Amino acid sequence: MAVRVVMKLVIEKREQLDGDLIRLWLRHSARPTLPSWSPGAHVDIRLSNGKVRQYSLTSDPNDLSLYAIIVQREESGRGGSDWIHESYFEGDEIRVSTPRNNFELSPGKAILIAGGIGVTPLISMGRALSEIQCLESFHFCSQHSRPAIERELLEFCGDSLNTYISEDPDAKRLDVSTIIEKASSDLHIYCCGPERLMLEVRKLTADWNPDQLHFELFNANADVQAKPEPFDIIIASSGETLRVSENRSILDVLRMAGYVVPSSCRQGICGTCECRYTAGEVIHQDSVLDLDAKQDRMMICVSRAKVSVTLDL
Amino acid sequence: MSWNGKLLHIHIAPEATYEMEELAEANLVAGKGIVGDRYYLGLGTYSPKPDCREVTLIESEALDAIARDDPPMQGAGITISSFEHRRNLTVQGVPLNHLVGYRFKIGEVILSGGRLNFPCKYLENLLDRPVFLPLYNRSGLNCWIEQGGVIRPGDEIVPLNQPSNKPHR
Repeated sequence: MAVRVVMKLVIEKREQLDGDLIRLWLRHSARPTLPSWSPGAHVDIRLSNGKVRQYSLTSDPNDLSLYAIIVQREESGRGGSDWIHESYFEGDEIRVSTPRNNFELSPGKAILIAGGIGVTPLISMGRALSEIQCLESFHFCSQHSRPAIERELLEFCGDSLNTYISEDPDAKRLDVSTIIEKASSDLHIYCCGPERLMLEVRKLTADWNPDQLHFELFNANADVQAKPEPFDIIIASSGETLRVSENRSILDVLRMAGYVVPSSCRQGICGTCECRYTAGEVIHQDSVLDLDAKQDRMMICVSRAKVSVTLDL
Repeated sequence: MSWNGKLLHIHIAPEATYEMEELAEANLVAGKGIVGDRYYLGLGTYSPKPDCREVTLIESEALDAIARDDPPMQGAGITISSFEHRRNLTVQGVPLNHLVGYRFKIGEVILSGGRLNFPCKYLENLLDRPVFLPLYNRSGLNCWIEQGGVIRPGDEIVPLNQPSNKPHR
């Protein structure tokens, strides 16, 4: 199982960006450098209200004196962004995990497609691609104008940046099908944004090599058709059998039975609760594991099983 | 047994997986732990499993040996900083493996060795470094606090050469 150290960081600077966006610059409370990370990585923020939220790092991975995250206030969200906007100011301490990357860059030229706040992981990725002359084009669509974000993207994108502001009637519109039609077949596509944008990109690239397509989800990829049914989990090391009722997760049941199991997002998107299984038919409902990994690993916060599954614990 | 050691570092973490924080002094409470530490608070990874874990120690000599890949098990040395190994006290000149079942003194505090610490995969996952095998048999000592008090880095550590009445194995 993947666990990560939780650090005590200090908010060095809080910047008001565009409208409902703030950027927090974070330094370590005791040391001059932070753990290294690669473009596309995120951290878990352990909020003082007990919630855990994931935010992409948007700073420069070559400068480990500070991390930066951008937080959009979302009134309809799950209460994390609102809490950060209300509660965290310069000088405050904040609990932050070491970084994890589920959205790594692959070698080769790439097109980046970002929707709304989904632009955040793509900022560091675009910068890194640009440094090695591998950024083919960067497409950023947003409902509202985001001058601060656009300025940052322009710094490294130059002419390869295309922005689309949907509330501006005169702005050009994102035409994913044309972008993909014109794309050379050896390019990679990285996409992060609202589900409908990612579904459109997925649909239009259905005949592409899946290794060239990379998506970062903010909400899990749950199969809405799957009706939860009870099933058993068997602990491989002890033979113990535990029943998972239709309204519980494997994670809940293991914890109630006294197992120490790390978890974070509880939505199948962060990868913290990854667990190996040795037998059983698993109903995967996460958005982290690729097809190969799903053959023997599962995310026990959301994924379930038919009848039973044997966990390598 | 005659030796004379020194306390180098004191670290605690407020919860499981939280980074260890260095203290300039610590208050040890007999029968409980170090004030502010996850095992004192019942919030440690292994808190649900009662065991001797009031305070944990590790030898700096073991960490030095692992850093120079001695014995050569991993192909290269592995640096484990004092805030990373997740033991509370980093000590020098103290033969921890000989202290199971015996009392010894750090400053005004009296500890007794409960059991040898065993390296865990949890630490390996947390550090994302292959430290399990290099720590084998030199992972430190889990102790009972028999007499509480305040300790500070630099405190002398001396044997009392007295067997302890506390459980040990």
